[in-house]
Amino acid sequence: MSPRVCPSCGSSDVDVDQARGDAVCMGCGTVLEDNIIVSEVQFVESGGGGSSAVGQFVSSESENRIPAFGESHIAGIGRASRAQTLQKARLHINTLGHQLKMNQHCLDTAFNFYRMALSKHLTNGRKCGHVIAACLYLVCRTEGTPHMLLDLSDLLQVNVYVLGKTFLVLARELCINAPAIDPCLYIPRFAQLLEFGEKNHDVAMTAMRLVQRMKRDWMHTGRRPSGLCGAALLVAARMHDFCRTVKEIVSVVKVCESTLRKRLNEFENTPTSELTIEEFMRVDLDQECDPPCYTDGLKKKKIKQLEVELKKKMEDVEDEIHDYEDEIDAELESVRPKLRGVYAAYTKQEDVDVKDDVLSTSSKVSDEGDEEAEEELQAVAKHFGKELGDITLEALLKLEKKRTEEEEEEEEEEEEGGVPRRKGPTLESILGRMPTASTLGLSETISNCIGHEKENDGAADSGELDLSGIDDSEIELYLLDDREIRVKTALWMAENSDYLKEQREKEVKIAKEKELGIYKEKKPRGPSRKRAPIRASTADEAIGKMLEQKKISSKINYDVLKDLNIKPGASPARAVESPKKEPSAAKLTGRNRHPARAPLSLSTPLSTLGKRLQPFITGQPNKKLAVEQVGSSHPLPVPAGDPAIAVLVESGPVVYDEAADEEEEEEEDPCMSAMEMMGSNDYGCDGEYED
Amino acid sequence: MDSSNGALDIVITNVVSTFTTLCPLNLRTIALKGFNVIHRRGAGRVQMKMRKHNVTASIWSSGKIMCAGATSEDESKRGARRVARSLQKLGFNVRFSAFRIVNVLAVCYMPFAVHLIDFTKNNFPNASYEPELHPAATYRITNFKATVQVFATGSITIIAPNVKNVVKGAEKVYPLLFQCKKSLRK
Repeated sequence: MSPRVCPSCGSSDVDVDQARGDAVCMGCGTVLEDNIIVSEVQFVESGGGGSSAVGQFVSSESENRIPAFGESHIAGIGRASRAQTLQKARLHINTLGHQLKMNQHCLDTAFNFYRMALSKHLTNGRKCGHVIAACLYLVCRTEGTPHMLLDLSDLLQVNVYVLGKTFLVLARELCINAPAIDPCLYIPRFAQLLEFGEKNHDVAMTAMRLVQRMKRDWMHTGRRPSGLCGAALLVAARMHDFCRTVKEIVSVVKVCESTLRKRLNEFENTPTSELTIEEFMRVDLDQECDPPCYTDGLKKKKIKQLEVELKKKMEDVEDEIHDYEDEIDAELESVRPKLRGVYAAYTKQEDVDVKDDVLSTSSKVSDEGDEEAEEELQAVAKHFGKELGDITLEALLKLEKKRTEEEEEEEEEEEEGGVPRRKGPTLESILGRMPTASTLGLSETISNCIGHEKENDGAADSGELDLSGIDDSEIELYLLDDREIRVKTALWMAENSDYLKEQREKEVKIAKEKELGIYKEKKPRGPSRKRAPIRASTADEAIGKMLEQKKISSKINYDVLKDLNIKPGASPARAVESPKKEPSAAKLTGRNRHPARAPLSLSTPLSTLGKRLQPFITGQPNKKLAVEQVGSSHPLPVPAGDPAIAVLVESGPVVYDEAADEEEEEEEDPCMSAMEMMGSNDYGCDGEYED
Repeated sequence: MDSSNGALDIVITNVVSTFTTLCPLNLRTIALKGFNVIHRRGAGRVQMKMRKHNVTASIWSSGKIMCAGATSEDESKRGARRVARSLQKLGFNVRFSAFRIVNVLAVCYMPFAVHLIDFTKNNFPNASYEPELHPAATYRITNFKATVQVFATGSITIIAPNVKNVVKGAEKVYPLLFQCKKSLRK
């Protein structure tokens, strides 16, 4: 405090007494201040006799929000939102961390990461669960704990790649270089799970040696470390006379069987696999292998080369076959002169059909709705001596692609077989050639396109379509004519009939509701549920049945409610109430559509309701105002939910909290008078859909 | 395409481009009249495959069209124009505007294998390698936009908005890969 000067005598000797709250000048005795405001902590006696300090806690992180005099009551405790976020995050981190059995130091580090992420605005647009998981995983990586991203995703039930993305972004933004995963880290953890008993350490050591060997053989780059561990553990276990099956290892290590087998095969290819167990423990081979993907690549190259050579040979043989086929064609045609005229007519149309089938991808020949096409094909088939069934789409496609080696060989054999069998290949060759043949004049257009296509750079961006270089005639082939359109329409309708039906129903429903005047946009309505009126002889029964129909709130102790001995006056009111509630009843939103179920008795076990419905039954969405009104015995209708079992209610909200929270929270109507409620039938619907 | 560093070939495998016809399109008409179209109702679009240039076009009802599958920028443009032309023939008043190449994907094979872990360490923070997620290390170039995925076998895929960037990216990444190369026995 700067020395004060007495205004009357100018002396700077001022005595400030905190206890009495006075400031007195020592020179002239003037009292300068009376009742000084002190900044000591004061205590006040509270109601129960204890004393509490006067004042509010202002957080050091509350950043600019100094509660002014008037607004101190608005924020409640006065905590800033940032502090709340951090507190929530800390809670989640601790929960997750304890599930993963991480120590407190790691959790603190994770919290620090989270704070950094928060300050860099990395939590924007991301689920906070994901960010927290990413922070935790970052800590795992930097500390080197044997936790996998898979573990985290298991806990959170989130796709591991989504988590991975978040993690990568976090690591990049925070400039944290997470060291690469060493498979050796996971071995002790998996060994523990595989229960090797006393020899745990030995097996783990052997497995580690194996993994190190694998690393030197370049088996670990680009692979999941858990796969390597699994393979190593399997071998180590066998080496120490434990018979762990592949399945056990798979369940622990979380890779699939084929991966394990692949790793084992790769290891088999390395020279180390030739050593005996003792040798392996003693000796370390110097040479390192190439990575198995590289050797695989080389193998593939070789195979390709072989294929190319084979193909060449096949082509030679093909030419021969073509000659044969031509001869056979000529002969056949000369044998059946009548067919030619008919053949020509049929072939033309069959061309189109074939093209249709082959090129339009949404058709199945078996579903061909158009009778004409089928008839034609049948006629063609008959003439060619084959069943219609044989001319399936697959067969046609196969025929198109029939220039594979195997089929060539088959044909070759067939050729040598005999004349009657040559019908097969002949047909195939004819049909196979059709789409590409020049019967449609395609070859000319194709050569035109290939020959004369000009390049046109810098097309005018004014929006005009520059047509140079585009061959119109070829494009016209892409368009169907009327008959084809009909065929395709029929096919498409057939395939999408379900969807179209749904659409039509929807429209009808909407139209109906529009007439009734209750149609509301955007929300698809579920079927309305009619429920039997509650007939109860005692108040208890009435309560029980009503509770079944209503959605359950977490704020009510139902056991106590059941035991309430309600006056008879109230119960007829309820009984009257409940019939009125039925029409309103459980109109479920489109989201939770359930078949209408008979109200369950209180003793129906939850399990019989089936898994899917349990969350809806035990965790009830309408937490806010729902059955508080019941408690206060206001005749307020509540949009009814699924039949609930009062007995199990108390466990419900605890377990299925999240599920319930996710459902729509429906706002309750303010107090409605009994008259209104009894008077209008539609009340419940409105109540349910007001959000 | 271009070869950088002597004998390396960069092969462009995919070029993705978009353009817009300035008029709305009736997907049902296209689906029923077009020859080579698949109507994907779930995604709200129609897929049309062009044979000549091997371009697959996804057509939305707003008039936006995305063409994928071409092997060069020019081809992509030509394929796109063919799509527009065929739509025109179907009766829509189609104009070809705002053609833009979105993505070029190219592959390149290095003659040596790469040690991914060293590569990641040397090039942090541009490089990230997460074996649990993807077998390749991803290297992002920031001054011009390009992403390079490096596999342990030494093959790399480069994704960039145009071919120039692809070449630039390959050339930039080559010395980094060379540093971390693995000497092979064979």
